[in-house]
Amino acid sequence: MSDDDRLPMRAENLREGMSLGPIHYVVTAEQVGAFAGALRSANPLYGGGSGAALAPPTMRLNDYALLIAEHFKGGKGGVHAKHRCEFHQPMRVGQAVTTTGTITKTYRQRGKFYFELEYESRDAESGGLLVRQAITSVLLNEAGEMR
Amino acid sequence: MSSSADEVRSGVEFASAPYCLDADTAEAYRRANHGPRRRRPAGGIHDDNSAANKAGFVAPIAAGEQVLAVMAQLLVDRFGMGFLSGGRIEIAFVKPVLFGDTIVAHARIELERSSDTHLELAIRVENQRGENVLLGTAAVRTSTA
Repeated sequence: MSDDDRLPMRAENLREGMSLGPIHYVVTAEQVGAFAGALRSANPLYGGGSGAALAPPTMRLNDYALLIAEHFKGGKGGVHAKHRCEFHQPMRVGQAVTTTGTITKTYRQRGKFYFELEYESRDAESGGLLVRQAITSVLLNEAGEMR
Repeated sequence: MSSSADEVRSGVEFASAPYCLDADTAEAYRRANHGPRRRRPAGGIHDDNSAANKAGFVAPIAAGEQVLAVMAQLLVDRFGMGFLSGGRIEIAFVKPVLFGDTIVAHARIELERSSDTHLELAIRVENQRGENVLLGTAAVRTSTA
């Protein structure tokens, strides 16, 4: 018997207004360093091994996938179509962050199923807004096709 | 913000260094992200030929997030805290990036759309064939007002 009660990742299970999260994490110097390294960035804002470093602005863009994975299982994935971000304050190494999301829109267009997920990350202690963003994705069907 | 007054004329363009998005940089990017609890088996449009073909691509494609990260990095390098604190970005992925493609991020200042507090930019990322793979707009904060 499975203890995985997540919904299958299918169009019929994605509903507007569905809340996702929260997820919690602490920004680490290791992730900042690895992310900056993957971009081949030596920007001093990221710390370069010293303290008080800031995180690259899109380092936690992937939080949408964590939010989805907390609520859904299976599926063939999606194709990233659009993205928007508002950067209010940069994340800092050592900062505890809480991210929540909402599925704000689902629709079919030219035979493809789209969903929009808005999510925001806040300082876990102060509640101050750090980043607000939204992803629009085409959900692949059970055959792995964009329709 | 590091731009001089001379650099913020409308139409001024700047670009990133070329970034080869090959298997190694894709793997480095994947490792730098904290992966979710797996909700499907491995083998998707980013790492499997058959899956990519079914989705309509000729080969596995790079993650759009990594392309966006290259774009955002150009704006951090150019505007620093003006982008990190009060900036925004809105983009569409208009063409897939295949592994081995070399991409360059571009930004063009658009003073006519700018305000007293924010500088507006038209942004794009192009591949080595001169094709746009990402199009959008961005804004950076120019004052604390």
